[in-house]
Amino acid sequence: MVKAAPPTRADYYRVLEQILPPGTLVVTALGNASYLWAAMHHTPENFYIEDAMGLALPLALGLAIAQPTRRVVVVEGDGAILMHMGALATLGAVAPSNLTVLLIQNGVHAASGGQPLTNASLDLAQLARSAGVGHAAKVETAENFAKALRSAFAADALQVIVLATEPDPNVVKPPVTLDPVLTKHRFMAAIGAPRYVPTIFGGGRFE
Amino acid sequence: MNSSGLQSSATHRPSEVLETLQRLGFGAAVAVPDSWLGEVLVRIERQTTIRLVRATHEEEALAIACGARLGGVRTVMFVQNAGMLSMGAGMVTLAQRYQFPLLILVSYRGTPEDPVFYHVGKARATEPVLRGLGVAYQRCDGSRPIGTQVEAAATYAEEASSPFALLLSREDIQW
Repeated sequence: MVKAAPPTRADYYRVLEQILPPGTLVVTALGNASYLWAAMHHTPENFYIEDAMGLALPLALGLAIAQPTRRVVVVEGDGAILMHMGALATLGAVAPSNLTVLLIQNGVHAASGGQPLTNASLDLAQLARSAGVGHAAKVETAENFAKALRSAFAADALQVIVLATEPDPNVVKPPVTLDPVLTKHRFMAAIGAPRYVPTIFGGGRFE
Repeated sequence: MNSSGLQSSATHRPSEVLETLQRLGFGAAVAVPDSWLGEVLVRIERQTTIRLVRATHEEEALAIACGARLGGVRTVMFVQNAGMLSMGAGMVTLAQRYQFPLLILVSYRGTPEDPVFYHVGKARATEPVLRGLGVAYQRCDGSRPIGTQVEAAATYAEEASSPFALLLSREDIQW
């Protein structure tokens, strides 16, 4: 009996693209997490992390707090979680009901060339539950990811979904510029975030 | 006179910090506490206009603050100066690279007026590290009201689209 190969990152992204409600805010980690998502589903509501390894999850947590009426999805990697595991504890403590966390588990530092993780076999879903996340599960097929994602979007609760996959070492070339400041301004304009209007003297105002 | 020999403001300076943040419309605070910051964080939790998030590490706190600001909420950080030493990568790759205006209120431990002398190494490194990272900062002047200094720091962050660190003494921030 030959075990089927796990879904690729692209397979999972195709499911995400199909199920994602319009207007959902999506934060993606460095490397192919951002490049591939930009190639498949570029919208102003995407916030691409250019570098800043391990900080996609806490940034998305802050975003979910600031935008409690919008659904926020973050795509983070297993290497990044190992780098900032404390963020899981903060996530569990804050538990924003509008946040869905997708953890790509490929066992390597994919963005830096595929070096093995310090511990590639951690049960990340169990880890998330231990950190206080009420709903966390690992999926190994695109079908189960679709079910888990629909369930997550239907529920009013923080969810962590661990996506088992293989490394994708070939770097995807994003079709759009991922200029960080442009990304930020485009994103903030899309969600109607207050804008600071500077003045010459005495400080500006928010509009 | 305070312990550094400077004339103190007549007001309770930590109260003035909190009142200024409320007046300026800050909606979120992200913190990693130390002993000087402990009580002001409790006071923030007791009020309703600023939401406090307690993070586990200062670089993580920085990212949470960037996310909150990305979502349109004016955000302040409370950290010890040790945190300024440990958040360097996030500072340059996220907060500065994406030009997030963040007010960072820093308990400046290890100066001669700090009775806990194991902090001295942090004080020695803090300002050189901030300069090395390119983080704009200022030491709070104990002879002047703190509210105007907090407001100026917050305005600088917005005008410069960058983080700004205001370094605080014990009288400034310990409730």
